[in-house]
Amino acid sequence: MSKYDIIGAGLAGGWKVTDASTLTANQVVEADVVVIGTGAGGGTTAEILAAAGLDVILVEEGRLYYQKDFKMDELFSYSHLYQEGMSRVTADGGISILQGRCVGGSTTVNWTSSFHTPDPTLKYWADRFGVKNASHADMAPWFANREKRLNIHPWTVTPNENNAALQRASERLGWAWAIIPRNVKGCWNSGYCGFGCPTNAKQGMLLTTVPGALDKGARLYHGLRAERLVMQGDRLSHLEATALDQDVLNPTGVKVTLRAKHFVVAASAIGSPGLLLRSGLPDPYSLVGKRTFLHPVNATVAIMPNEVNPFYGAPQSIYSDEFVWKKGVEGPVGYKLEVPPLHPAMSAGVLPAHGEALYEQIHQLPHMQSIIALLRDGFHEESQGGQVSLRDDGSPVLDYPVTDYLWRGFRDAYLTMAEAQFAAGAKGVRLVHMDSPLFSRWPEAKAAIADIPLELHRARLFTAHQMGGCGMGEDPKTSVVNSYGEHHHVANLSVHDASTFPTSIGANPQLSVYAFAARNATHLAGRLTDKA
Amino acid sequence: MASGVQSSEGIAMDRRGFLRAGLLGTAALSTISLGASLSGCATTPAGTVAHASGATAEYRFLTRDDLVLLRALVPVIVAPGLPQDPTARQAAIDGTIARMDQGIYFFGPANQHELRKLFDLLNFSVTRVTLARVWSSWDNASPEAVNAFLNRWRDSNIGLFNKAYIGLTKLTNVSFYGYRTNWHLSGYPGPPQPELQTLPQFQAS
Repeated sequence: MSKYDIIGAGLAGGWKVTDASTLTANQVVEADVVVIGTGAGGGTTAEILAAAGLDVILVEEGRLYYQKDFKMDELFSYSHLYQEGMSRVTADGGISILQGRCVGGSTTVNWTSSFHTPDPTLKYWADRFGVKNASHADMAPWFANREKRLNIHPWTVTPNENNAALQRASERLGWAWAIIPRNVKGCWNSGYCGFGCPTNAKQGMLLTTVPGALDKGARLYHGLRAERLVMQGDRLSHLEATALDQDVLNPTGVKVTLRAKHFVVAASAIGSPGLLLRSGLPDPYSLVGKRTFLHPVNATVAIMPNEVNPFYGAPQSIYSDEFVWKKGVEGPVGYKLEVPPLHPAMSAGVLPAHGEALYEQIHQLPHMQSIIALLRDGFHEESQGGQVSLRDDGSPVLDYPVTDYLWRGFRDAYLTMAEAQFAAGAKGVRLVHMDSPLFSRWPEAKAAIADIPLELHRARLFTAHQMGGCGMGEDPKTSVVNSYGEHHHVANLSVHDASTFPTSIGANPQLSVYAFAARNATHLAGRLTDKA
Repeated sequence: MASGVQSSEGIAMDRRGFLRAGLLGTAALSTISLGASLSGCATTPAGTVAHASGATAEYRFLTRDDLVLLRALVPVIVAPGLPQDPTARQAAIDGTIARMDQGIYFFGPANQHELRKLFDLLNFSVTRVTLARVWSSWDNASPEAVNAFLNRWRDSNIGLFNKAYIGLTKLTNVSFYGYRTNWHLSGYPGPPQPELQTLPQFQAS
């Protein structure tokens, strides 16, 4: 049972948590380390540094929401827990970006899938980007360390029908499949991970490392936007931050200056490059914000003869890696197959139709099953990712061109997903694409998919995984930080999040972020306590 | 429709030429916003509005012109889900538009700006006629004319129209089908009972 309210008890028990919207005067604060971001990278880092005896301040732009706020309400969650109220898109609007914006970051709203960084990815990073000390053998203890901390285990409950359909299809078609490891403790199998876990079961940063850091005396400011890092000589002297109102939209006018010996940026693959660019930090080879990856996703929906109830049960428990590496690491783009949960607002927002056409689809939600393909981007010359730049107001925006190479991958993935759904017993399959009818047989779908126009907006594309933009490596001409996340040009700056990945992961990235952040934070703690 | 139309300002406009010139580009859309304000379109949020259904709502993004536009679009986008009873029907439409405003409020400045340009383009008579190809003002547009407009933008081979179609329908569909009163339309029974009955956040304090 996981009803215990860790956050409520901690706040009552004297945690040093400041809601920046309540500040009435400018402040100057000081710590050993300022950690920017409380997601997978920042949360992990803060706990490890605090445990090493360092004085840590956590800065989070989003607000502190927890169990009392998590009422399984889609509209509230999308508005309050996601970046840009769930309206974030790539610059041309072609890809919808699902990304958390609250204490715990995306780990507060993700679907708990926890995978090791695949070996081919680690090898590619070593070979192509000179990433050191990050082989499978080097990383194994860090994966084990985080699996223990976050209670990550393969899901032992029977998969819901949405996931079972992917398992059934894989078995019938002879494809590899496996059970997904999840970071949960006492999970109720409700299905509401994406809205903030209502039962305190999800072992995201909100209920593990952030409380862990606060228990050790760390301070947390939420509703505080990291505006710019300021250099003095060859080092950072302080962070300028802006307090935001209770809706986390408008500055209140209060400024907070945060001084520290060291700064760790963990503001995501969009936020971290954005902060570095806003700060005008040294970037002699113009690398910051480049090679940003998304695991771009396309989807199909099926109508099943029996009830699927895709809104209930652990959202992701089965996956297939049959097509991830099949055609070679540097060959045609590979993709991982998973399923998404479907609730009414999400479904109504994803299906590209209106009037009778939309109603005809959505009223069958209890019988709807969906598969998604996550494309492994960044391993090919025609997949160089996107670029983060700044809007006039200083906010980051990602321009991500969908290349012909990726479109070929999407077409392959449509074929694979439709074949899988028919194999699982679907009565009908529809691509999440403006031009797709409901196909009633696999040969019909196969023929039509070969010709369906693959164009931005018509094919609905998504991303829940943002990576890259501050890539790691040993050569400053091709990387922003070194293999431990230390900035090549600024001595007291580290980056500890998915932005340091030189390519996409090829699997849901949270455990990769946890493991690298734990490794890099431990390295950093050694450095900082030696000096002390 | 002929490819050339005579606007109320007497400027001959060729639609293809318009598009070639990048009218739909960001800069030109900003010009439309300017045109909209010069032509008397409302440019400030509607604030407190008493709806015909009796409910009042506080609008922080949508202007009074946007409300007129959406009262034409929303009933077509979610037509099959609306109640038959005229009062209930109007309340469902007004409630959906109010939730759209709440959602947009949390989008933040960048996407609000994008939507502002889109709504201004639809509200401004010259672009309503030339780009949406809706001849009558929105409060006089028939459901058939609105539906034809939506289908034109959906089926257009110009990506920006497809994008705008997605923007309008997604916002409406989410605000309508995602709301608890309308969950039954998708067959969604709502959150599971054991959670609602046991978890502290659902208990009256």
